[in-house]
Amino acid sequence: MTDQEHLERAYRRLLAWYPREFRHENGQEILAVLMADAPDGQRRPGLAQSADLIRSGLWLRLRPSVPRSARTVRAAVKLMYAGAVVSTVNLILLLALIADVKVDHAILGYRLTAAQASRVNTPFITTWILWDLVPIALWLWMARACGRGRNWARIVSTVLLGAATLNLTGAFGPPGFRLSLVPMIYGPALPVLYWLAGLAVVWLLWRPGSRAYFRPPGYTQAQHQAQKAELDHQAQMAELARIRARLPRQV
Amino acid sequence: MQEATFLILTALADGSQHGYGIITDVQQISGGRVRLRAGTLYMALDRLRADELIGVDREEVVDGRLRRYYRLTPAGTKRLADEAARLQAHATVALRRLNLAGGMAR
Repeated sequence: MTDQEHLERAYRRLLAWYPREFRHENGQEILAVLMADAPDGQRRPGLAQSADLIRSGLWLRLRPSVPRSARTVRAAVKLMYAGAVVSTVNLILLLALIADVKVDHAILGYRLTAAQASRVNTPFITTWILWDLVPIALWLWMARACGRGRNWARIVSTVLLGAATLNLTGAFGPPGFRLSLVPMIYGPALPVLYWLAGLAVVWLLWRPGSRAYFRPPGYTQAQHQAQKAELDHQAQMAELARIRARLPRQV
Repeated sequence: MQEATFLILTALADGSQHGYGIITDVQQISGGRVRLRAGTLYMALDRLRADELIGVDREEVVDGRLRRYYRLTPAGTKRLADEAARLQAHATVALRRLNLAGGMAR
């Protein structure tokens, strides 16, 4: 195998980080650019080049392609990704805290012997980790689906807000009813913040500006494109009206 | 607007270019300071296409590989012109104040 073939095969493996549709559309072209950019005799991708491809691939997998015209949907999706990031940071903090057996039992207010603590600790920690993974997964799932214009995701997001409202009331309840470590450590501030973010997301998703972006069942791609063009036209008209308003009045 | 985006749009202001052409042109425009990597470039191109600031001009097959040429759309041309005017206005003020400060120092 020649150096070029070796390098090309390595680049093809790195391109697997990209979403399938994107790879199908642009893979050959990116590969051509990568090969043109490589100096003679290079057999393996450089570290920086590899990191750039992995980062871009992951970003494209996570990022929804919401057009600029659908501003409310874009804002809602960004807010959902921000929610996922905060939830992840929160989980990392919790993991750091619950690594210490004494701390997590002190948080719970239990007084256990060392033997009792070690027996109950593993299932507790596992449950908490799984429980705190749920909001991360939900934020990401909803962000992805809403970003793709799935109408069911808008409805599920609203239902989840209802569930979050019920959970929020639990945040103020006695320790025995608390299902997550979040309210135990931070008090009610963080759950309230999550709930407000969720409320803002649902409000944005149901704004009149978002309606055209979400397709009811049975909607075809062509119909969606026509709706998108209509949205763009409306945005252009609004821009034109703004420019006209700024012009001095003619006598 | 991010610097990389500005430079990509500037590279296309002179006419359509393919991916590798944009990389070399951006390097030239920035005096060798900005060297775009393929992953970053295609992420930016994808976003610019979604925002309808650029479009595909034509496709060619060279040495068995696809080569796609990109061009500015009217919206992209306007956006670049607005951004260039904004940067120029800021630079003019900055230079004027620097000259004033230099004059006072003397």
